[in-house]
Formats: sequence, C-alpha cells, structure tokens
Amino acid sequence: METTTATAASMIEESEIEYVSYGGEHHLPLIMRLVDEELSEPYSIFTYRYFVYLWPNLSFLAFHKGKCIGTVISKMGEHRNTYRGYIAMLVVLKPYRHKGIATELVTRSIKVMMESGCEEVTLEAEVTNKGALALYGRLGFIRAKRLFRYYLNGVDAFRLKLLFPHPQLPSAMSSVLESYEANETKKDHSLTQV
Amino acid sequence: STNYNNNNGIAQQQQQQQEDPLNEQGTYAPVLNPTIPSGEQTVWADVSTLLQSARNDLQDGELICGENFNLFAAMSALEIMDPKMDSGIVSKYYSVDEAIEDGAAPIPLSLNKTVDVHCIIDVMDHLLCCEATWHKGHSLAQTIFSCIYLLRPDRTSSHPLLSSYCTVVRATCNAVVSVVSDTRTHEEEDLFTITSGLPLKKDGDEKCLSMLNVIEETVTRQLHACKSPSHKKRSIEDIEPLQTNLDLEEGYCKAVLCRLRFRKHFYHVLVCLRRAQGRGLDLARKHIASCLAELGNILKTEGFLKSNSKYGMCENTTEDITTASGCEPVGFDSTLNTRLSAPTPPRAIKLLCWKKAVKYFEKLLHDLDVVCSHPTDSSFEGVLRFVVEFQKLQPDLVARSHLQFLLVQDGKFYGRDPMFAVICRAAAVPEITKNHDIQKNESFVHLGQLAITLLKILCTNAAWQRRQLGKVLQDWRILHMQLELALRKEFEESSSTSIDEMYKHILIWIEEQTFWIAFRFLILGFELELYSPSEYCMVYWYIYIILIKLGEKMHQRMITSGETACLPGKRKGKKKKESTKDASKDPSFPPAVLLLQCHIYLAEGLTLMIAALRNEHGVFQCHGPFNTEQERFIQHFEHLQKACIPDHVSYYSFREYTDNAQFDVSMAKKPESETFERGIQTLVMCNYFKEAQRIAKELRSSFSNDTNKLAELRHLEQVAEHNGIALNLVSRLGSLDPSLK
Repeated sequence: METTTATAASMIEESEIEYVSYGGEHHLPLIMRLVDEELSEPYSIFTYRYFVYLWPNLSFLAFHKGKCIGTVISKMGEHRNTYRGYIAMLVVLKPYRHKGIATELVTRSIKVMMESGCEEVTLEAEVTNKGALALYGRLGFIRAKRLFRYYLNGVDAFRLKLLFPHPQLPSAMSSVLESYEANETKKDHSLTQV
Repeated sequence: STNYNNNNGIAQQQQQQQEDPLNEQGTYAPVLNPTIPSGEQTVWADVSTLLQSARNDLQDGELICGENFNLFAAMSALEIMDPKMDSGIVSKYYSVDEAIEDGAAPIPLSLNKTVDVHCIIDVMDHLLCCEATWHKGHSLAQTIFSCIYLLRPDRTSSHPLLSSYCTVVRATCNAVVSVVSDTRTHEEEDLFTITSGLPLKKDGDEKCLSMLNVIEETVTRQLHACKSPSHKKRSIEDIEPLQTNLDLEEGYCKAVLCRLRFRKHFYHVLVCLRRAQGRGLDLARKHIASCLAELGNILKTEGFLKSNSKYGMCENTTEDITTASGCEPVGFDSTLNTRLSAPTPPRAIKLLCWKKAVKYFEKLLHDLDVVCSHPTDSSFEGVLRFVVEFQKLQPDLVARSHLQFLLVQDGKFYGRDPMFAVICRAAAVPEITKNHDIQKNESFVHLGQLAITLLKILCTNAAWQRRQLGKVLQDWRILHMQLELALRKEFEESSSTSIDEMYKHILIWIEEQTFWIAFRFLILGFELELYSPSEYCMVYWYIYIILIKLGEKMHQRMITSGETACLPGKRKGKKKKESTKDASKDPSFPPAVLLLQCHIYLAEGLTLMIAALRNEHGVFQCHGPFNTEQERFIQHFEHLQKACIPDHVSYYSFREYTDNAQFDVSMAKKPESETFERGIQTLVMCNYFKEAQRIAKELRSSFSNDTNKLAELRHLEQVAEHNGIALNLVSRLGSLDPSLK
C-alpha cells in the first residue's frame, strides 16, 4: 500500500498541486489531521482556532487530487514595537516532500505578511531539523539565536528571523536607483537625486 | 465537536448550591463511593447532564467567549483524560500512600538478607541515574523523587543502610540546589531548582556524614570478618554478616562500601566548594580524587552483581539499564509526582543509563577539579581566559554554577577583592593614583557591576551567554562615554594629573574589554552554528575589524602600563591599522599582541578568500526572494552596530572591502590609497596565511609554559596552512573543478 502511494506521489507534477487560502471551518479538520499525524506535540482544537480565526489570510493548504497534503499556519502582530509575522506550523505529508511544496506554502504566507506591513518574520526550529533550516535559509532567514533545551525532549532550537528591507534603508533606495538607471531614457525628473 | 464525545467527566463543585444551575432542574445527584474522597468543604456531583445539554447547544466552530477567556487564553486549555496533557491522570497509583500500601516500597526490601542487600544496591544505582538525569536538566520530582523511599523519609529509619544512603542523597541534592539557586542567572535553573512539595530537607540531614561513617564502619568490619580465615566458623564475637550467603559476603560488602564512600566524598566535595573565598579548594581536590577512585571501584562491581542478578527484582529488558546488576530497582514510580511537576506536561522522561550516569559524574568531577585548580590570586584577565578555556570542556550546569560561585561572591572578586581594586590592577593604574574616595563615584560603582556581570555571563551556557554578551555591549559603551565626560570635567575643574592618569588607564581598559566582548560574541556564533556558509564572509570581516581594534587597545594598555619599551619614532598621527600590521616586524611588540596579529591575518585572509570565491565563482551566496545580504548583515551585527562597535562601520564598508576581491592579482585595480576606510583593492591573500603561519611558529618560544596557548598556536598554524594550500589550488585553476567545489 505504501509503495503504491510513494510511486504515485513521485510522479506528481508541480502543476497538480493546488494552493488554497484557509477558507473556513471545513478546512479545520483537514489541517488538524495533518498536523496531528506529522508533529509530535498535541495541540488542542483551540490552538488551531486561535490561528485560523484571527489570521485566516495567513494560513494556506496544499491539495493534490482533492487530498490535503500540506499546510502552513501563521499569525502576525505587534511585538515589542515591531510588527512581526510568526510561522506556527508547517507540515507536508512525507510522500510529498522534497518537491518545493513547503517552500511554496511558506512563501505565500510570508508574501501576505510582507504586504500587510510586517517588518520581520520569525519562527523556531529544532537544531536537528536540517530540512526546515535549509528551506528557511534559502528564503533569507538567519539563525538569530540558539535556545538551549527549548523542546521537551531536550533538543535546542534556533530562532529564525527574516528581516524585510526597510523602506528607508539604502538597499531599497539602491534598488530604486537601479531601476531608475535602467530606465534612463524615460528621464523621470520627479525622482530626487541622492 | 468530536473532542467532547466521550466526556463522562465528573467535575468537582464547591458548595454553592444557591448559584448552582443544576438545582433549578432538580437533577443534583451526589456521587456515591467516589474513588477520590470528598473533602471537608466539598462534595462530588455528577454534571454529565449539564455538559451534555451545553454541548448540544454549541454548533461546530462555536466557542464560549468570556472576558477572561479569549482565543489566546484558550490555547492553554488542557484536554481532560488526554494522557499527554492531563497530568492528573492516574496511571497506576493515585497517591504515594496507595503505592506503599500496595507494597511498592517494602521495608526491609526483603526478609532474605541477600536479596535485601542486592536490592538496596540496585536502589543506590538507580538513584545515581536519577541524580545524573536531574543534573542534565530534568525536574527533581521526576528523577530523585521518583523514589518512594525518599518521598516518605520517616519509613526508612528502621533500616540503617537504606536510611543513611537516603539521608546523604537528600543532603547532597540540597547542597546542589543551594549553589545553583545562589548563582542563578537564567531559566536553565528554573526546572532544576523547583523543590515545592518535595521532602528535600529533613531534620537530621546535617548529620548525614556521621550516619554514613557509622554504617561504613559496620560494613568495613563485616568485610574484614569475611576475609579472615576463620570466617566460616560462627562464634559469638563475630559480628553479624551483611547478608546470609557467606560466599557472596566479600562481593556484597565491597559493592556497598564503594557506593557509600563515593557518597561520602562527593558530599565533602560540595561542602569544601561552598567554603568562602575558595578556602576549601585543595581539600576539595583530594575528595574529588577519592570520588573518582570509588567510581572506578563501583564499575568493577558490575560483574559480580550481574552474576548474582537472581537476588534482584525482575530483569530489566530495556536497553537502558539503570543498575549494575541489570535488575529493575524496587521502590520507584515516576508517575506519582506528575502533579508536582506541573509546569511540564506529563511526559515519562528517559533516565540516563547506569554507565552513562557514572560517566556523567566522572566528567562532573573532572570539571570541578579544573575549577579548583585555577589559582585564586589570578588577575581579572587571567580569570577571563580561564573561564573561556573551561567552557571548551562543555561543562554542565552544576560545574558552571560552582565556578561562578567561586569567582563572584557578595559582589566581590573571589568573594574577597572589591571590584574597583581588581579593575585598577587590570588597567595597570599606577599605585599612587588609587584614590579610595573616587571608587564611590557612581560610574565606578557601575563599572564594578558590569565587570561582575561579565564574569557571571561567561559562566552560563553558550547559547544564553552569547545573547547576554550582545546585550551588555551597549552598557559598556555608554559607561565609557560617561567616564570620558567625567574625565573631561575633572580635567577642567582640577589639576590633579594623577586622577586624570587613572581615568585614562581605565578608559583604555574599558575599550579593550568592550572589543573583547564583541570578539567573543562573534566567535560564539560559530560554536552555536548560527552562521550559514553564505554569511561566513561578513562574519570573518567583522571579526577582522574587531580584532584590529582589540589589538590597538591591548597594545595601548601595555604601552601605558610600561609593559613594553617606549617605541621611538612612532608619530601620533600614524594610521593605527598600519602600526598593528607592522607589529610582526617590530621586536618590541609583546607576544599577546603578536598572537592577536596572527588572528587578524587569518581573519583577513579568510574574508578575502571567501570574497574572491564569491566574486569569481558565485559560491557562498544566498539570493532569497524577500531580502538582500544587507538585511542579514543588519540582523547579525545589530548589537554591535547599535553600540557603535566599532564606529563608522556599515554594510557598505564590508562591500567596499570585499567587492573587488579576486584571485588573479594581476587583474586587480591599482589602489588609490591604503587607508582602512577605503579598504584593500589589491590582494595578497597568500601572504596573510603565510604571515599567520610565521607568527604562530615564532610565538612558540614565548608561550612555552602555557599549554593552552601552545595548543592555540598549533591550531592557528594548521588553519593557516590548510587555507594557504586551498588558496593556491583555487587561484591556479581557471575554474573550479566540480570535484573541488
């Protein structure tokens, strides 16, 4: 049985995966089943409701042929004078891993955070979770801190953080300048010279 | 929803029947013969019907919302009857008393004396595992106090061997809790020191050593008796043997003795280490040596105990045996305390196996021995170096707490020297200027506190340590600014050159410490695996610029303290960077500065080599969709940048320095100026590694007495050599062979 699923899964095309924003109560049991299956910590239904009720636009589900095979659950809010996003849970069923589905889910969530005005995004991951560390590393997260014995099993965690370019930072300006230089011919005099 | 399907829960109700909604329905039904007895002011009532109607009233997705119960609060909800969340779930016994009634902890352990002794040895071994597991970061409740004998200490008084062992274990744990609580710096200790509800202290525990002595003497006599040639003949003068099987008497006596002696010496170690101002260190070392010897003896008893495992309880079939004999110990139940370990969810914790527990104590004792071996008349700088070296052993909480306890007591260095005096000595303030009134100056008091805090931080675990080091950078910087202002005021108001001298010395010293902290902060990032390869370039670069500053300040301090001969011909206006660069060729540079120069060359070489690899081969890079390297730079160096350490340094400085790095020197642009701010345009990377190697070799003679420094020099040489070779290879190949990548 498992081999069939594996073979079937290995023949999946990226285009066959459908990404959907959290749409309501009907999605909740799908998410819960996924997370309960894959993650070791028990979450009560209230935990899920907290996230998807307050930030439905930050949670996404991935479907393959009508089956929910992945999900990301996040939140955002004010934290010590910064508006920041937080990725709470990310799960993709085992047979569907290494196809970029998790990256796509996370990317969508982070895009919404960015558009909503977040200055940064954060999450924790076990130091042994090479897959997650590589995924977030590729997206530009740094390992900001190491948290000693963060998890119940005594494993350390990294706090991962992604800093969005600040609109007032020179890097944003330089990209503005680059596009200005590239469009020299338009001669837009309204842009101030730096 | 589905979570409430099988909830026939019984909920306890207060006697508030006037407000009780059930009363109106007239369905208040008292529960007969509840398994948990009603209290004096309370009575059990069955509310299943109430819950049923409430449940039927709620639709899927609906949640009762109250002022104090919002969605966030709801996350802390526990599902009753879920064994992963509900610590009230009874697994076998409801209470300790029930367990005892059921015979879970018999006293004596057996009427058969051989079985009794064997089982007590198993208890001793299992307790050692519990103790090691506790030290490693679990709660007392789930480890040491999973022992029913310890939970009801009065019961053991009829059994001297068990009683004395339990007493010394309690006293030992108490001593450890005490020192860890006293040196508390961080949440790491939180779980460790929770003792509420546990019988950790009992009257008479302070006499544990005399109790142990009595029993040790008895067993020693029993051992002698069994070894004497006439032991098989019973006579009235003979003392009663330890157990009834005469062939096994020697083995069991030895097994018991080494365990008792280990406990005795270990308790002595803790008592000695507690003595003020490090007065007990030498004696502690003697007891540590005895402890290690007894641990060796304990390991030797494994064979004997295993071959007599039939005298123990059932065999432990799991892989993690917690006793020498391989038997399960009698009298332990970790589930009895789940309610006491409330902060943590009810999880069975995995105890360290017996062999690992012994290893843990061996390591702990070795670490404590290192703590005891450092001379107590050391300088501040000496202590900093010592603590950094000590941390390389990766000592656990107990060892680190003892180190901190030794170094800092009552706000004084080694509990003995006021910080102001220590700092003046470290900053080489001339004797005459040590004005005692000025130490009451607020800024100097603050400086003392910063120095104490620094010592404490350096004794914590690496993860916590790095975060704290980053945070205190700003405090040191601000203090420097405050003292600079004070010096200026002093200069204007009075003409006391001696006070000015003191200020100057201390200001340089503060700067040196600040850069040292910054360096440590950066280096710890490697240890903690915080940097990914695409960040190495900027990290090495920042280390390079910090080390240059550190070298400057260190050299300045040494010059002003007269540690080096005056350097004629060095004009004040000369660029500081160049002066440290020429250090290697000037014979009057002290070895410590040269060592730093060696590090600087390495850091520089690594920065440029990685930069060239990026520029020419596109490796060590990360192009994410959401941000650029600049954001990652800002994040990694946030604390340093905020505190302006060093001044006038930004992402652009980094880019300037590295953008033109390449392997083919002939293609490099001609430099316009070789000032630090403009960065290097031409590259002689190879020379950096060669120079580093050369200095490392030359310094061997200067540090011939310092094993740590010699090891460091060897390491530096190796790194320089390997990178030099790699650099040669890469620069000679036109493009990177995929196998080399």
